[in-house]
Parts: sequence; structure tokens; C-alpha cells
Amino acid sequence: MLDRRHWLWRAGGGLGGIALAAMLDREGRAAGTSTKPPGPMFEPKAKRVVQFFMAGAASHIDLFDYKPELEKRHGQPSDFGEKVETFQDGLGPWLKPVWKFRPYGASGKLLSEPVASLGRVVDKMAFIHNMTGKTGVHSQATYLQATGFQNPGFPGMGAWVSYGLGSLNDNLPTFVVLPDHRGYPSNGPKNWDSAFLPANHQGVVLRLHQEQPLDNLFPDPAAGFKPGNEKANRDLLLQLDRKHAASRNGDSRLEARLRAYELAASLQATAPEALDWRRETKEVLRLYGLDHGKTTFDKEINNLEEIDAMGRKCLVARRLLERGVRFVQIWSGCDNGFPRRNWDSHEDIIRDHGPLATGMAHGIAAFLQDLERTGLLDDTLVLWTTEFGRMPSSQGGKGRDHNPHCFTNWMAGGGIKGGVTIGPSDEFGFKPADRKGTPVYDVHATVLHQLGIDHTALTVRHNGADRRLTDVHGHVLEDLIA
Amino acid sequence: MPILPLWFLIFSQVASQPDNAIDFQRDIQPIFQKNCLSCHGSKARGGLRLDQARLILSGGESGLALVPGKPDASLLLRKLSSKDPAERMPPEGQPLPTSDIAKIKSWIASGAKIPTAGSQETWWAFKPLSRPLVPQLAEKNPIDSFVRQKLREKGWELSAPASKAALLRRVTFDLTGLPPSVDELNHFLQDQTSGAYEKVVDRLLASPAYGERWARLWLDLVHYADTHGYDKDKLRNNAWPYRDHLIKALNADMPFDRFAREQIAGDILYPSDPGAIEALGMLAAGPWDFIGHAEVPETKIDGKVARHLDRDDMVGTVMTTFLGLTVQCAQCHNHKFDPISQEEYYQLQSVFAAIDRADRRYFSDPAIAKQDAELQAQASALKATIKEIDARRVKSIDTEIRTIKTKIESLEKSGRSPALEFGWHSPIESKPDTVHWVQIDLGKPTPFTKIILDPCWDDIGGIGAGFGFPTRWKIESSNNKEFNNSNKLFDQSTDFPNPGITPVVCMAQGNARYLRLTIDKLTPRQNDFIAAIAEMRVEDASGANIALNKPATASGSIEGPPRWAIANLTDGIHHKGGPASPKDLATLKSTLGALEQQVLSPAYRQARQAAIAKLEANQALQSKLPKASVVYCGTVYQGEGAFTGTGGKPRPINLLRRGNIMQPGKSVEPGALSILSHAPADFHLAPNQPEGDRRAALANWITHPDNPLFWRVMANRVWRWHMGRGLVETPSDFGKQGQNCTHPELLDHLALLLRDNSGSLKALHRHILTCATYRQTSDSNPERAAVDADNTLYWRANRQKLDSEQLRDTMLLLAGKLDRTMYGPGFMDFVIEKPEHSPHYQYHLHDPEDPKSHRRTVYRFVVRSQQQPFLTCLDCADASMLVDRRNESITPQQALALLNNRFALVMAKHFGDRLAKSGAPAGSIVRKSMLEALGRPATEEEVGLLSDLLTREGAPALARLLFNLNEFTYLD
Repeated sequence: MLDRRHWLWRAGGGLGGIALAAMLDREGRAAGTSTKPPGPMFEPKAKRVVQFFMAGAASHIDLFDYKPELEKRHGQPSDFGEKVETFQDGLGPWLKPVWKFRPYGASGKLLSEPVASLGRVVDKMAFIHNMTGKTGVHSQATYLQATGFQNPGFPGMGAWVSYGLGSLNDNLPTFVVLPDHRGYPSNGPKNWDSAFLPANHQGVVLRLHQEQPLDNLFPDPAAGFKPGNEKANRDLLLQLDRKHAASRNGDSRLEARLRAYELAASLQATAPEALDWRRETKEVLRLYGLDHGKTTFDKEINNLEEIDAMGRKCLVARRLLERGVRFVQIWSGCDNGFPRRNWDSHEDIIRDHGPLATGMAHGIAAFLQDLERTGLLDDTLVLWTTEFGRMPSSQGGKGRDHNPHCFTNWMAGGGIKGGVTIGPSDEFGFKPADRKGTPVYDVHATVLHQLGIDHTALTVRHNGADRRLTDVHGHVLEDLIA
Repeated sequence: MPILPLWFLIFSQVASQPDNAIDFQRDIQPIFQKNCLSCHGSKARGGLRLDQARLILSGGESGLALVPGKPDASLLLRKLSSKDPAERMPPEGQPLPTSDIAKIKSWIASGAKIPTAGSQETWWAFKPLSRPLVPQLAEKNPIDSFVRQKLREKGWELSAPASKAALLRRVTFDLTGLPPSVDELNHFLQDQTSGAYEKVVDRLLASPAYGERWARLWLDLVHYADTHGYDKDKLRNNAWPYRDHLIKALNADMPFDRFAREQIAGDILYPSDPGAIEALGMLAAGPWDFIGHAEVPETKIDGKVARHLDRDDMVGTVMTTFLGLTVQCAQCHNHKFDPISQEEYYQLQSVFAAIDRADRRYFSDPAIAKQDAELQAQASALKATIKEIDARRVKSIDTEIRTIKTKIESLEKSGRSPALEFGWHSPIESKPDTVHWVQIDLGKPTPFTKIILDPCWDDIGGIGAGFGFPTRWKIESSNNKEFNNSNKLFDQSTDFPNPGITPVVCMAQGNARYLRLTIDKLTPRQNDFIAAIAEMRVEDASGANIALNKPATASGSIEGPPRWAIANLTDGIHHKGGPASPKDLATLKSTLGALEQQVLSPAYRQARQAAIAKLEANQALQSKLPKASVVYCGTVYQGEGAFTGTGGKPRPINLLRRGNIMQPGKSVEPGALSILSHAPADFHLAPNQPEGDRRAALANWITHPDNPLFWRVMANRVWRWHMGRGLVETPSDFGKQGQNCTHPELLDHLALLLRDNSGSLKALHRHILTCATYRQTSDSNPERAAVDADNTLYWRANRQKLDSEQLRDTMLLLAGKLDRTMYGPGFMDFVIEKPEHSPHYQYHLHDPEDPKSHRRTVYRFVVRSQQQPFLTCLDCADASMLVDRRNESITPQQALALLNNRFALVMAKHFGDRLAKSGAPAGSIVRKSMLEALGRPATEEEVGLLSDLLTREGAPALARLLFNLNEFTYLD
């Protein structure tokens, strides 16, 4: 069996862009979209992944990585002991964390005021404070965290996981993306693209604030097309297709496409129920902060709306995980325009980070508690990331410039050790204390490892190179593993 | 690139070696294989590879591994024989036996010779083209002889020909991307003459739709889009002339080598042809990081990275498209599989070192282009003359003139600044009532009598004088930093008009340590609000500025020193010039006049005036010429701000260790690859040769008649697009990681046919389409499928799936909506929101009834970052990647899109309405619909079933069903 798997890995790679489905079909093993992917290479600790992505670059210094040295030096001219290039040349005086930090949990982890809700679950979380990036440009840095490469054209992590492990269900997508309710982040859908992997591994976007969260699930009412007896029509379509296929033996694609229409019908039957978070009990809705009863929010960015938006995404994510969705990517923040509706707080950390962090922490704390309550946390890996950090100096006012040298990630569940912190940053949170830091490849390698995948072996041949999520890098972060 | 010739020299010596000498293959290679290749094979640890001849000699990151003839100077030997376990190789286990080390030593001492056998030059794709013998099988078309010869090895023959209807549908979609009309079908079915099919092929090749279809395939290869990609995915409104050029060139059957040369160096090689400028769109077709180029200058690391990635994309696009080589793999280290060194990769970057992606002017009428070029040349000659005359001006007088001119200018434009002046700049706000403040710490309570605010001057948005001067403000004093207890000294509570650069005096007496200026109302910029002040002066009774160099703080500041910084508020730098006096002006002007007379001799003065008059006349003529066309292409660019371009002077290119911009190695000159021997890889360009010569040299090297890859790669692409399977199934990778060629003789036959028919693609199409192999049925055969499921031997035709463009165009055609207008700017099937940052492309807000969007899909405005959801779902090409083969996925999302997407439903409705309009009986409507949608008559059973549907739910439901049938999507 193992040999056979190995053969499949290699064969899958060698054929590049050709759908694995088609390859297996030729072997007469499976038909169409229910094709079994290679599966784990060793005993996995996790089956599912949830990736939270803070678009715009969340400030590690003001949320998770407390720096008393900045309290001492607040207002003094900043001095990094080296020449520093920042995106907006914003090298003002040292700026202390804009909120107070307090210890939480048995681990005594220090968290700032807006993320205090995470104190309830902080002993489940493992922090990496010395994440390091390659660029202070949002677009490239977002690609790097999302796909492992700085330029477009590479599959998102969820697409790799879908490709490597396949689906846990028969009627929902494998990789689901829940974007910010205000729009897409930098790079938009390219962050969750399947690129050179087969298209069925691409992230499927659900827009929870829209009446119809999934595109094309039902006939678009704007088309002015009156749907009739959908079932009868589908049956007729399949009847004609079967007849067509019957006279064309040996072309499994025809059968596969028939099957895709059946799966589509099954998706129509199950997706609305899966997405209807309002069915949850009052207690659950209260846990997620979705019992506020309001339907409209202030125009200005505010805590309640942020709690509502993140709460919905987290609750729907739990419902999807329960139903066998493999990978959920949840975004906080849209692109980098004005007024700020993401984490890119050049002007005022409190103004933007305040509500965003409050909503994020409220939703994620509820989510982790809920995963634990439902038993999903054990084999669901949660990863929190952002494209880079922010500088320990101000830009002359209340905001901070980009810091690609150092930022924070954390993980929880899925075989991750709780209540630990690895990889300290220096006394300012300017760079990793060891000046090396943890690259994104290590986090990606660790996620794949928990899923039972050797990150060096999940490869696909594309334009002459054996591509993988971790490029030619990556080490599993053993210290985080329970 | 001296490596190859040197290498050949070494080979030539091998033959004369005595038998007892060390032989690389016999004595050395096994040692390397056993001990070294697990790290120094394709893994290339430390950049060193010991598995390929040329790469052994090129060494690794620590330099050369060995110096032929000098074992003691060879790092390899030092490492192998080191006593220090930390330094010794291999790093683990025992050191190499001394006998092995001795062999290596003697091998190096005798010149480190490596024979050619087993080296990379034997890889089939790099060998010269050779004219194959056509098997004698009495076939009219040699293709069939080559195919049948292989089939016979299995005891097989070609399958039976496809039905006429299936063949017509196949070839029509293949060449035009559209289905045959019912008339064309009937005509072909009735035409029993022997050349009926050939006539169809000729008709289709002559159709303008041929260029539209095949240009789209080319656009896939070069990853064309109408936006930049990345963050700030802004519009390229002038990219489309490149797409139109492809359509025109293909329809005109431009020789393929010229087609290629134009796309690399058309401006240099065909200077009088406007199409050759448009062709340069290829170099710019790929993604471009707006922020990394237009907002970050080249002096910054992020700016350098962006420009490196930009050249990498140009190199990759050109080499992958034309030669099927994955040179980009050699960016960080020597190519791991193909004999391409890292240095050669950077030689190729050097070819493109002077160009950027930008808009370029050109004229479509050659006569006007000529006129324009003449006028431009005349203008620059006149400017040179004037410059030459000016060089003869008396220097001392000239300096005096300049000083006076500056004074006059500054006085004349009273309120206009002689120089930009900056200071403190508030954060940028979206609303005017966001409050900001600045405050000055005088150090101790100090008496003062007035406060003076000096305005800024900045060019941004054409505001100039008084840039960002506050609209409303107040001034308070306090002895407490937090202003818990303060005195209001001054309140400008009504809107204050822009003061220009005149200082604004606020009478405010007091005695305090801190003074705070609070801005209650910000000043509009373009779409946002700011405040800016050059200097805040605090005068005491003596008129001295007691705030000078005192610390200032602010509620916010866009710290961008030296221009904008809170420290600028008290640095004493601000405009000091007073208003102009008419008397001063008159005096200055008369002095100027007198000096102008002395600075040049009368003869030169006259010559200068004459030249200026001619220049003015030249400019008048230029302004009468028609407006220039513009294409977004790879071109020399010179601009302002962060994106300055090169003006034609190539950027220096260095080999980058590990591909890292922070680790530049040796400097590299333009050149090509030594693996191909048809022409020297060294371009021998002089350092001062214009940049275009680099591109021209590469274009000529690539398109050389004896470049085997150039012809093979394109012949294989054309074959693959027709047959659904390539002779090489990795059409953009002919290297060792690619797949082997199933029919090498056939490929060379096709490559030579392309080359020797003057590069005619249409001749190649005709040759392929008329062979029996193409015309077979697509029906399978269980016995053969069990042996050759992938149909690598072409024992039947491959059933091809319509791609997203073919589907969309066909749906429009059947709906009666397809607008066949050719060329011009792309149609937008989205609504743009929030264009100021990264535009939001809102596809769901577009109404598919919009007739502007009813043109063929090749004319769609292609957004790179946010792909069109309907087409993407149907596997359309992703303009972030070089696409040589479309994905062919089968997903439930596709089913849902074809069933429920607004475009699909609207077109089904129109198709249905068009069918029903005739008022014919249900049966005849069904027959007509099948003939149009599927290109065949309906069976009686189908007529029965579909008539029921029609009666029950109407014609749109019938049309929707047809769009979703497998038979609609798959071509037999």
C-alpha cells in the first residue's frame, strides 16, 4: 500500500497539470470527482485546518508580543543600531504598546486589552514570536504567507492540502474561503488559487453577508430566467448524457461530468443548511456574540460589527468543519485603501486595530471553545497569521510602519502543544532575537506534518520544476508539537 | 561565454589519451556517484554539482571546485583530504580511501578531462534538426506514414475516418473557435467532390476568426492581461494593440520566425513597421508590481527586488514560449537538470536590462511615422545646435544671467516659490473634521508676543503655494505637556483662504512653556484632507524666533524625512522672500538685456535665433500630425518619481548568489545559452552599443534557422493544439524534466516543414489537418485502450473538450447575440469600484445583456488578479502563469455555473426566444436547436423527449439543457 502511494505521489507529480482524476480513471479505479487522492503519508495528528489571515499586517507588539523596553523608551528617538529601510520611511520615536497587557491562563501569557477574550483559550495556543518575512510590500508578503512564493502563480496552502488529502465529504467543497465582509485582501482570489493544481482544489468563496453566499448555487434571479421543475430537467439531462456516454466507451470524463452534475445537485441540497448559522442554539449564538439582534451597524468601524462579522465566519467555519470541509481560510480586513478597513495602521493603531482585534479575538476565542466543546479541536489545526509585523517606532504619530523582519504567528489544536511560546523577538520586537527567525516555510511544513504529509514529498511538476508549498526550504517546528 | 569552446578544446584532447591515464567515466565518476551525488547531484548543496560535466567545472558558491592541471589549488581535493572533520567531505562517515583521492588528484593534474559521452549535449531536444526518412507506406501525407509505422509495431492501423458532420465540427472549432453554421454543414454534407474537406480547411484558414482563435492560444503562452496584477492591480488601457497585432499577424500568415523576432526586438529589426512595435507587447504581457516600481524607487531593496522579478518574467516568458526551456530554474543556482548555468541566466536578464513595461507611442500609418521620425530627428538636431551654441557662451556672464533670471522669475510670480518647501504634514484623513495638533516645547515658561505660521509649497495635485495650510485652527498655551490647563490665545474659527507663501501672523501674547496649534478643520487635497506647515515661529518682544530648534510633537505626522517631518516645524527653514517691487523688476530686466548682448557674439546670436525659429516651426508641424497610437509594451522608459526607468542605459546586471538581490556576484554581459550550438552564445556587443542591439542579438539567436528548439517547440505546440496531445506532452519544457518525444522523426518532419515553408503556420496547419491521423474517429477500442490508454500512438482522434472561450462564444452565437466586430479596446464584463487603490472588479454587477460585452471572448478586458469567475470556473488561462495547456477539470462548480450563472441563463433565454420566434411546431424547433447546438440531426427519441420539455417549460429551458449536455462540451 505504501509503495503504491509513493508511486501515486510520483505519478501525480510527473503528469503535472493533468487532473489526478483523469489519471486514476485510466486505471479504472475511480470515476470523476470522487477520486481518492494520495492521502496522508504517516499517521496524522490533524485532519482539518483553519487559517486566520489578518490582511494589512497586524501589529505583534500591540497584541501578543509584549515589549516592556518600549515602555521605558517611549518617545525617545528610535535607534535600531543599523540602517533601516521602511516602506513609508516612518522612523519616528519609539512607541510603546498602545494597550495594557495582562497575564492569562496557567501559562501566564501576556495579552493586550482588545485580544483579552483569547485569555480564555490561551493555554491552547502556541506562539511563534520570531516570524520573519522577505519584503515589506503587502502584495508580495501576502503571497508569501498564503502560497509560499512572493509572486503570483502558485497554489494557496488550502489548495495543496486539498490536492494532497482530498475531501472528507461528498457534497461540500474541500477548501473554503471566507473573505472579509468588505471585500478581498491584497491579491484577491490569487491567494487561494489552485494555480497549476487541478481547478477543483481552488478555494471556494462564501460571502456570508450576501443572501446567496455561494455563486451559482441556484439560478441567478437577475437573469430573468424562470426555472421550472429543476429535478425533472436534471433527470432529462442525465438521461441524454448517459445515452451519449454509452455509445462512447472508454472516455471516463463523460461519466465524471455526469457525476459532477449529481454532486452539484447534492451541494444544492446540503449547502444552504450548512451555511445557516441561525439554526444554532441561543447559547452558541451568545458565545459567538451573534445574539445582539441588530441588522445594521454604524458607518464608522466599530466593535459590534467586527464581532458580528468574525463571529459569523467562525461559526460557519465550525459548521463546515463538522460536515467534512478540509480547509477553511478566514480573512480579517480587506485591501489597503482609505478609510482603513484592514490592519495597515500607519496612522493610528488604536483606531483600526482596536475594533479589528476586538472582533477577531472575540470570534476566535468562541471558535476555539466551541471546537473543544464539539471535540473537533483535537484534530483541527488552527493557524493565525498576517503578512508581516509593524515597527516598534511610530511614524511620528500614533501609527506604525511595516516590519517585514519580525511578526507573530500562533497555532492551536491538531496536535499542537498549548500554552507555549517559541522564537523570541528582540527587546523591541524589531527583529528575531537570534536574527534568524522562523520563515513561513517552517509553519507550512509544520501544518503539512500535522496532516501526515512530508512537505518535501508533496510535489507537482510544473514548467520543469518539482514545485512544492515550501519551495526548497522548510523545517517542522518540533517544539510546537504535543 | 567561453565555457563551451574551452570545453570542446578539452574534448578534442581526450581522443589522444593513452589507455593507462585516468579515465573520468571509469575511474572518477563512480567515486562521485558513491560518495558525493546524494548532496552534489540535483540537490546542488552549496551550489555545487558533480553529476554534469560542465557544472563540475563551474563550481559552486565557494568558487571553483577544481582548477584543471593544479590539484593543489583545487578546493575539491582540499575538502576531500582535510584532516578537520568539520571541513572534510563527505561530511558524514569515513573519509575517502586514499587510493580514490589519489585518482582524483591525478585526474585533476592531467587536466580534469571529461569525455562527451553521457554528457548533456546528447539530450535529444538540443541536437540539430535532422531530415528524417519518410517510411515508405504509400501515404499521401508523410504524417500518416510516421504514425502508421509506429502503429504497425503494435500490429495496429489508423481508426476509421470520423463522420463528415463530426469532422466539420471538429475542424471548425479547431481553427475558428466557433461551431459550423447549419448552411456550412449542409454544404459540406452535400459536397461529394474529392477535395471537399481540403476546401473547408482553406476556407477556415482564410477566415478572420482563425486569427482570433489562435491569438488567444498565444496569449495564454505569454500570460497576457489588461491589468498589472499584484496589489494595486491597475488598468493597462493600451495593452490591446498587442492582442490585435497577433490576430492580424496570424491571419496574414506572417512567417513564424519574423513573428517571434518582432516580439523580442521589432522596434530594432523592423523600424518602419508599426506592427513590430505592437509586437513588443509580449515583453510586457506578464504581471508588474505597481507598488514595487511606481512607489518604491530602485535605490531601495524592495525596488530592486521588483525590477529583478520584472526581468525574470521577461526572460522566462521569452525562453519558455519560444524555446521550451525552463531557464528561470537557474536563478538561484545552476539549473538542476538542464545544462544551463546561473551565469547564463543572468546573461539573459542582461538582454532586457534597459527596458521596462510602459506605454510607447507609435503611428499606424508608415508615412506619418516617417514624418514623425523626421520631425523628431530634426528637433533633436536643432536642440543639439542650440546646445552647441550655448556652449560658447561666456561662462562668467552666463552665471550672472542665471542669477538674475532666477530673481526675475521669483519676483514675477509673486506668491510663487523659488523652491519646494516642506515641513510638518499631518496624517492623511478621509474627513476634514479629524482633529490634529502640533506643539512646541520652549523648555521653560517664556514670554512671547506673536506666532507666525509659514506655509508650505509642494507640487502635488498642482496645489503649490500654501500646500495644506490649515483651514481653521486655534492656538493655546500651557505649562503642562498634556494641556490639562491651558489658555486659548488665538482662534481662527472661520475658513481661512489659502495664503500662498505669505506668512500668517497670529497675534498672541503670553508666557508659557508649551504652545499648541490645534487644527479644527483640515484642508482638502484630492480625495482626502491634510494639514501642513513649513515653520511655526514664536517671536518675543525683540522679534527673535524663540521656537527655533525647540522640540516639536504632533498628534500625527507622515514622517518622510527630509521632506516631511515634525522636526521641520522648528528648523528655521521656510520662505523668506518678500513681495515683488516693480522697480526692482525693471532694473533687473534691463541689466539682463545688456548681459544677453555680451554673452554671445553677434553671429552666434543670429544662428541661435534661427535655430529657435526652426524649432518652433518644427513643433508646429508636429502638433499637426495625427495623434500617435500607444501600446503597452517592453520599451525604454524615462519617467519621474520612483519609476524613473533607464532612458536606454542598461542597468548593471550581476549574478545574484542564491538569487538574492543583497548578494550580488560578478557582473554579467548579455548573451544566450551554450547548450545550443547553432550560433555563438556570446553576442560580442561593445559596451556602448545601444540596448536594442542586445534584444536584436537574442531575437536572431532564438529564431536562427538552425536553432532546433525554436522550430521543434512551435511545431509541437501546433500539433498539440490540433491533436489534443503533444508529441512532447510538456510543450513548454523540452529539457530533461520534460517528457520524451513519442515520434521524434515526425516532430523533426513538422519542424522542418515549418521552417522550410518560409515559417508559414498556415501551411503547417493545412499539412496536419489534412492527414488521415487527424481525420480519424474519436471512438475508442477496448483492446487498444488497454495497451495505450493515453493514445500516445494516435490510433484514434482525441475527443477534445471545448475551452471556456469556445463555450462562451458559442453560447453568444446561438443566442443570436455574438458581435463579430474585430479589434480595439477590450470590453469590460465587470463594474469597477474604488479605483483609487486596487480597483475592485465587480463581475456580479455586470449585466450580461450589455451588448458591448457580446464580442468574442478574445476581446475581453482581462483582469489579472480578479479573474472572471464564470470563465475561470471553466478553466480559462490564468494570466499569472505561462499557460501551455489549459487545465481540464470536471467539477460540480462547473455544472452549477453552466446551469445557473447569469450569463449562461441570459444566453439560454435568448437562444430559446430565437428558436420559439418562428412559431414552428415543437418537433421542428427541437430539430433546429439540435442542428445548431450540436451540429447533427436529432433522433426521433430526442425529438420526443425534448418536445415534452419544450411544451412543459418553454424554449429557454430547452436551450439551457442543450448548453449543459456533455455532447455540447465534448467534440467527437
